[in-house]
Amino acid sequence: MLDRIGIGWRPELAAGILSHLDRIDVVEVIADDYFRCSRRGLAALRTLGAQVPVVLHGVGMGLASCAPADERRLAGMARVVDAVAPEIWSEHLAFVRGGGLEIGHLAAPPRDPATLAGTAANVERARRVVGMAPLLENVATLVDPPASTYDEGEWIGAFLGATSCDLLLDLHNLHANAVNFGWEASSLLRRLPPHRIAAIHLAGGRRLAGGRVLDDHLHDPPAEVYALLAEVAARATRPLTVILERDGHYPPMAELLSQLDRARAAVTGGRAQQAAAR
Amino acid sequence: MSSAAFEAYLVRLYVDEEARDRFLRDPRSAATAAGLSAAECAALERIDREGLVLAAASFARKRGARPPRRWWRRRWRRD
Repeated sequence: MLDRIGIGWRPELAAGILSHLDRIDVVEVIADDYFRCSRRGLAALRTLGAQVPVVLHGVGMGLASCAPADERRLAGMARVVDAVAPEIWSEHLAFVRGGGLEIGHLAAPPRDPATLAGTAANVERARRVVGMAPLLENVATLVDPPASTYDEGEWIGAFLGATSCDLLLDLHNLHANAVNFGWEASSLLRRLPPHRIAAIHLAGGRRLAGGRVLDDHLHDPPAEVYALLAEVAARATRPLTVILERDGHYPPMAELLSQLDRARAAVTGGRAQQAAAR
Repeated sequence: MSSAAFEAYLVRLYVDEEARDRFLRDPRSAATAAGLSAAECAALERIDREGLVLAAASFARKRGARPPRRWWRRRWRRD
């Protein structure tokens, strides 16, 4: 099973990443940064892709919405996908704008049939424009989405049933929501169809006053996230692309590489468990 | 029950401090004045208020953390 362990590409980490490609299997690039870049910028991305496999991650489409996705952003993603030819591109089960206003981040939508229908329509539009369906990522939320009729497990299951997308499972988002709303992350994990989990995000966050967890990508992944990773690897039936996300407060590169090693060990342990169970 | 209008109102609650304050003082009146249906207003009356305030603060920090547009890009566009 050719699982891959990699890291999110950030300018602050570029030198460290390029100096340690022997320890990094894959790099995830924020595609929105390249939607309107020059041909030279896309050429630079292709040069990166020639040195290490690149996967693309969108952050601003807002696919999980009753409103149609922004055609300009779909076209932007198509342009970058066409230039880089990644194995996968991904986006979020989130909405990001409405009524002419931008939230400035990812918001969990009301988890109900209307949002599901809008999501399915947006995903199909994205598949047609970009040329391939995205993986969709579960999002963290500090607020229980109002007007929801599905719980989070039902919601993820419903979108998998309604679309051809596979799941980019963010384990810190799962952990954060479980803490914030009083359920068990492992229980939800067991409800997910293993053959639909294609990629994993690892990240960290912090506790706010009052006890809720903020997924801020400024901290190391907690032990719970590595434990969930081992559980996923023990059940997943296809190779996993595992990406460590860090958006600031960067530790030394050696520390980030040790986190990748820890992820690698968790996946290896999970796979060994799966093999022993057969 | 969700709709583009419901989402748009949620966005306003997340980003507009005055609208959020009005809503928290009287959710039903504020949501009704925004043109939402009776069912949508009822759903918003049950909103996770603590989470709403935390989420709005977090979103504001994210918007505030955007780096300013690089000056050399502004100059390039003018040339």
